[in-house]
Amino acid sequence: MSLVATRPEPGDARPYAFPAIHRVSVAGGEVVAAHLPGQLLATASLLLDAGAAREAPGREGTAGVLAKCLEEGTTTRDSAQYALALEGLGAELSTSVDWDSFRVGVSVPVGLLSRAVTLMAEAARTPRLDPADVARVRDDEVTALRMDWAQPGPRADAALRLDLFGAGERVGRPLHGDPASVAAVTVEDVTDFHGSWLKRPGVLLVAGDLDKLDLKELGAAAFAGTSGTALTPEGPLPVPIAPARRVLLVDRPRSVQSTLRLGHRAPERAHPDYVPITLVATVLGGAFTSRLNHLIREVKGYTYGIRADFAMTRRFGRFGVSSSVQTAVTAPALVDTVGEINRMRRYGVTEAELEVARTWRAGSLTVDMQTPGSIAAALATLVVHGLPDDYYATLRQRLLEATVDEVSAAAAQYLHPEGLTLVIEGDSALIRDDLTVSAIGEIVDAEV
Amino acid sequence: MSAQPAPVAETGYPWPIETTRLDNGLRVIVSEDHSAPVVCVNLWYDVGSRHEPEGQTGFAHLFEHLMFEGSLHVGKTEHMRYVQGAGGSLNATTNPDRTNYFETLPVEHLELALWLEADRMGGLVPALTQETLDNQREVVKNERRQRYDNVPYGDAWLRLLPLLYPAGHPYHHATIGSMEDLNAASLETFQAFHARYYAPNNAVLTVAGDVTPGEVFALADKYFGTIEPVPDVAPGPHGHLPGPATKPVRQTVTGTVPAPRVYLSHRTHPFGTAGYDAITVLAAVLGSGRGSRLYQRLADGARIAQPDYIGAYGVDLAHAPAPLIVTATAKDGVDAATLEAGVAEVVDSMATEPVTEAELERGKALLTTSWWRQMSTVGGRADTLSRYATQFGDPSAAAYRLPQWQAVTADDIADAARTLSPESRVTLIYEPEQTAPEGTEA
Repeated sequence: MSLVATRPEPGDARPYAFPAIHRVSVAGGEVVAAHLPGQLLATASLLLDAGAAREAPGREGTAGVLAKCLEEGTTTRDSAQYALALEGLGAELSTSVDWDSFRVGVSVPVGLLSRAVTLMAEAARTPRLDPADVARVRDDEVTALRMDWAQPGPRADAALRLDLFGAGERVGRPLHGDPASVAAVTVEDVTDFHGSWLKRPGVLLVAGDLDKLDLKELGAAAFAGTSGTALTPEGPLPVPIAPARRVLLVDRPRSVQSTLRLGHRAPERAHPDYVPITLVATVLGGAFTSRLNHLIREVKGYTYGIRADFAMTRRFGRFGVSSSVQTAVTAPALVDTVGEINRMRRYGVTEAELEVARTWRAGSLTVDMQTPGSIAAALATLVVHGLPDDYYATLRQRLLEATVDEVSAAAAQYLHPEGLTLVIEGDSALIRDDLTVSAIGEIVDAEV
Repeated sequence: MSAQPAPVAETGYPWPIETTRLDNGLRVIVSEDHSAPVVCVNLWYDVGSRHEPEGQTGFAHLFEHLMFEGSLHVGKTEHMRYVQGAGGSLNATTNPDRTNYFETLPVEHLELALWLEADRMGGLVPALTQETLDNQREVVKNERRQRYDNVPYGDAWLRLLPLLYPAGHPYHHATIGSMEDLNAASLETFQAFHARYYAPNNAVLTVAGDVTPGEVFALADKYFGTIEPVPDVAPGPHGHLPGPATKPVRQTVTGTVPAPRVYLSHRTHPFGTAGYDAITVLAAVLGSGRGSRLYQRLADGARIAQPDYIGAYGVDLAHAPAPLIVTATAKDGVDAATLEAGVAEVVDSMATEPVTEAELERGKALLTTSWWRQMSTVGGRADTLSRYATQFGDPSAAAYRLPQWQAVTADDIADAARTLSPESRVTLIYEPEQTAPEGTEA
């Protein structure tokens, strides 16, 4: 037996084109559509400027409760009739709330999209919002959040967010609220939120075989009965960095692992340095072959996985590292992780690492964008961040052309190992002494 | 107004399929699609945790990890670096039935993927070291902690299997394995494991995407053609069971969980049979979506179950009767006994109250969309073709699954439901620990 010993060279790169984008203004709103010839499935998503940032203080989670209420019946049919009508097409309503947007979407075989969009709009624009239903859905959400918060992670995330952004900013509190803030949401909060933000036309995103779809008809259904104009986005937040590293300890007695959430603030998504910043995160902790995964998983065997990223929204960003490590190695894992961030800030990236990172990021644009759902999500990025229609083609080129100097400079500018907040959710009694000895930062017990 | 059902599909696989078999027994399948410049390379090895003898649980899965740690011409960690450096995404999974490996890349890197897969099929053993084994053993133990041990209800699947399948049955133990067995894993065992199962005549290679069959067949022969077959690949252990379980089994777990949860489970039929198609549609009617019976009656009607944690699904295993699992989690103030009685009543209703036409069409419509979602990527298509070739000897059999779901009748569902009797049921209950009364904590 003789295997081929040398790695084959790649063939000629075949051109990748982001699907053609069509924009149609209709009934006071805009349809932004991507053409996927031959695709059997189609996706439509209503993108509304009604994200969590619009929630009132102390009522975080209002938008999430409203999202769930959309399926509790409409002004013309009760919840069971609505579920049967929509699911009878094979569709399910997918709702999501992030910092910048409120989205309601459906995916179905292409021939059924028009009927699915009509039903989707019926739920988004004319939900029944019966007070008893809203109160019940709110209570269910509180219970679901309590379930979620029983898992490792959400409390650590909340401690980090609060420390980075402060209780005074909406973004200093959890995206979907916590059990207490959702419990405080009233029926009126929910109906007001709907009245203020979900009656505006917004944008309808469509991804599918446009030869089989009538965009004007879809837009007319999505925007029927709406009024008002698009809202002007607020500018980005500043990026302050803490003067010293601190450890926030979130106690989780009897935990067999420690959940790590490290972070500091960073620029917003539309920032001109987005490409080098992304590549910094890829080399540090984005790829499986990243420095962090190599050291903490492959060499040390401390974890099943570790990743670093820059999470970026319209107004702010945050650099973060997340992992779960065995309790006994919590302190050494932290020391090694901070050490890698330091090393990257001081010495930058190598050409060999960057070569992997840029071709991976550029190539994964091609690989990831196969489905109507992923194309619709890409359209949403364009709309939310005000990016041009040729953005993805340009992005691909910019990723491939990024230099070592450019990316190393971004590492020096946007990584701040000395100002990191290190949140550890684990069994404090077992890890506190090791953390003290490691002298990695002042230790504070976090109340979450 | 009742919704018009989705049109009945004549085929669930409207793309071309070409197959060949190399002299060493490797089956090669190609499915052309030139709509995007991407390709998926997918390999199924007909070995899973069902092949593990006692004392070696978790070995098939640990072995899957070792396949990423280098082979004859590929250095440690280079596999990931090459694929990601080419812009690809990759992964592998192990389940009781089989182990699969797959990568989707820009199509100009097709040869890279074939070279990497061939090198680890034919050349893993010389590169396998004690150090690699020790390291990946720790990674897998961390995976077990993260997925199963440190998560509320995370061990439900690990508990259900031994209740569903008798000791000695290939599905009795879970794929992740036990910490004790993983600790005892020796290098020689893994070398023997590779020699026994990682053979071209025990694998299926599927390539889907922007390629032509002729090009792929030639490349497959170039990279895999020299790998020796294993003369007698040992057949998998027998999964035969005399029929449904004959007496109910239950287990109650008290632990740090936020609310009571119940799992009702039954052994049904193997994946791929008409009986299992009926169970698949039954599960959709019973537990998929807000229009399902469970949701309508327990989350919406009686309001004893949390709406986000209710469902019914089959686990698609092909070598023995596969499990149907029905689960619900209690709302505040509802105890486990009330919830269990409620869930059991809804499950029993599938046999006593005929499924309506609207329920049936709703369930099938949801399954239809999920099928096309799976088919919307080259990765989903390649994995499906590998499955049907491995388990049923014919990739084009994939085309029949969707029409067969659509052909299931209300009578078929009633027949299937009658096999879900309380006498053959496995019940797993989670109860929250009693916490100290308020005020006693410091």
